[in-house]
Amino acid sequence: MIRLTLVQFRLQAIIVAGILVLAAILFAISGQHLYHLYNTTVAACPAGSDCSAAKDAFLNNHVILRQLLGLLLLLAPALLGIFWGAPLVAREYESGTFRLAWTQSISRGRWLLTRVALLGLASVIVAAALSLLFTWWSGPFVRITADRFNPGNFDERGVVAIGYALFAFALGLTFGVVIRRTLPAMALTLASFLAVRLAFTFLLRPHLMAPHQASMPLQSGEGLGFSPSASGITFSLGTPNIDNAWAISSKVVDSAGHTASNSALHAFMVNACPAIVSAVGSGQSTQGVNHAPADPTVFHDCILKLAQNYHLVVSYQPASRYWTFQWTEMGIYAGLSLLLAGFCYWWVRRRIA
Amino acid sequence: MIQLTWLQFRLQWLVAMLALAAVAVVVGLTGVHLAHLYGTNVAPCLVQLQANGNVGSCGTTLTSFIHSQALLQNVLRDALLAAPALLGIFWGAPLVAQELERGTFRLVWTQSVSRRHWLAIKLSVVGLACAAVVGLLSLMITWWFNPIDRVNANVIYWQGPINLNLNRFDPSVFDLRGIVPVGYALFAFALGVTAGLLVPRILPAMAITLPLFISGRFAVTWIRPHLIAPVRQSLPLVWGPGAGIAQGGTGTGFFVIAPTPKLPNAWIYSNVVVDQAGHAPTSQFLQSTCPALTVDLAGPAGNVGGGSVSTAAPGPGGPGEQQVHACASAIAARFHQVVTYQPADRYWAFQGLETAIFIALALLLVWFCFWWIRHRMA
Repeated sequence: MIRLTLVQFRLQAIIVAGILVLAAILFAISGQHLYHLYNTTVAACPAGSDCSAAKDAFLNNHVILRQLLGLLLLLAPALLGIFWGAPLVAREYESGTFRLAWTQSISRGRWLLTRVALLGLASVIVAAALSLLFTWWSGPFVRITADRFNPGNFDERGVVAIGYALFAFALGLTFGVVIRRTLPAMALTLASFLAVRLAFTFLLRPHLMAPHQASMPLQSGEGLGFSPSASGITFSLGTPNIDNAWAISSKVVDSAGHTASNSALHAFMVNACPAIVSAVGSGQSTQGVNHAPADPTVFHDCILKLAQNYHLVVSYQPASRYWTFQWTEMGIYAGLSLLLAGFCYWWVRRRIA
Repeated sequence: MIQLTWLQFRLQWLVAMLALAAVAVVVGLTGVHLAHLYGTNVAPCLVQLQANGNVGSCGTTLTSFIHSQALLQNVLRDALLAAPALLGIFWGAPLVAQELERGTFRLVWTQSVSRRHWLAIKLSVVGLACAAVVGLLSLMITWWFNPIDRVNANVIYWQGPINLNLNRFDPSVFDLRGIVPVGYALFAFALGVTAGLLVPRILPAMAITLPLFISGRFAVTWIRPHLIAPVRQSLPLVWGPGAGIAQGGTGTGFFVIAPTPKLPNAWIYSNVVVDQAGHAPTSQFLQSTCPALTVDLAGPAGNVGGGSVSTAAPGPGGPGEQQVHACASAIAARFHQVVTYQPADRYWAFQGLETAIFIALALLLVWFCFWWIRHRMA
């Protein structure tokens, strides 16, 4: 049975292995160059000096290749699900060969198990190889941007890609078993895989673990400014950048630990920074929303006064949780895949008699 | 015949229309909000940016506007990027391959309708549907991105934390706006049909279509800069935003970074400082003309380290404004700026040319399909 599966699967395996070898060569050549460049420019920039120009220049390398490889990483699991998962059983139904295949000395349960195990393993190997190559290749870029939790990096590096590949494969298998027609199964696999991936990344992932809370000075928020609103002058701030951590949200808190309301901030500012209140309130200085007054020292003084009474509370996932998140997400996808595979086994054995 | 094609194609068309309707709802709801935000907050900032040459305090407004709806921006981009490939794979490849694989071609091609007629009807109905689906999608996405694109086009005026510079000619913008996606879709569809005819099995035909389509797209992205000869413009060297002196990798010496030309939405190929003979200023020249700046760059107190690149601009701890001016006028006496670029008003010429190239490729493939079905499959 294993031999039959291998024989039927031979051509596809050779093609995919060829693509992997080509990708590995591409990765190795350009990656070597990237690491050399990184070591001679960014890494050579002495600590304490402003290295942003060197970093910016480095980030402009291989822009198209980076997009292309990222796309390959993103697509690979979906393609495995579409081309290996969906047709696995659906093709047999569609071409009628299941009548022959399932009336041999081997039970249909074992037939399914062997095929799923072999192709599932192959999917894992492909995804792991690609992910390993890309993790190494994109290392210098991520060292500069320091945003490992950014979905564009998190999803394409580390171990999660293995979970995605398994899940896409199991999803394809399930649609093929239930629908019994290849093309609709392939289309549904693609659509539902993308939907699950998006929903997981943006809705579920932030809630996998309770975030840490940290108090930080007001000035650490990016893009500090003031803006007019219905209830007076509000404070606009971004989330502070903590290297490689995932900043989820931030709020302004007073010294007693209570969230500062817009009206409280407004009242405070009327006393502490009258110049800003009048400038922002009348919309003189600029017509934009977030603005500092023309004189930067006034702005600075105001921020300093505010910072004595208020600070930021940032909720974030610390950088040290990166691998916990990676393995958890991978585990969830692998678990879902096992559930789907179990369902297919049951369906093929019991339901289709 | 048209009726039969429609009957067979009905369900796929319905699925595509449902997907388009879903996109339309999302794009409509969020797009109106985006356009409103642009009118109230962003447009005044852009006016200020163009008038003063600096962004003033609008930085946060512009940055957060460009990054608003980040998830949706990505989803829409990916959707339009993938749509032509998906149509080629799911509508193109099985079109003929399905009949050949199942053997139904024996019935279909022996009816009163000739096989060429059959192919012509199938190709035009499904092909037009491809063009319509991707055309509508591109229309919605072009509209949705319009405010963001306009901000990106003006970022060139601003030396600030926005380092995107995604003008309309950037591949990640150009490829996903206007009419080019329709050309891509027709090409992908024709490619799928051809693959299905030559490899008369559905799955291999689908699998081949994808890499072929991606290679075709990339090949034309490489050809694109050469479609129209660029404009070469010589300007007197005026020290402005973006200009500076920098030191390249260890040992390569100093060089001049030309000021950013004020050509919003133009596609800039190169922007250099050269003398009459076309040579860039040498490192020795810069060191003797601007000793203060170069010493500052090379020294440990400068804002530049061993092999990194940095610009020399007046600032606290850096060279004084006077020194920079003296240096700049000394360089400007012997050197001028040369910009090679595609003007912004050639945007639609490039869109039209690229669409025409892909439609021509599609027609070539269609012609080959007819030839093959007539002479090779008797």
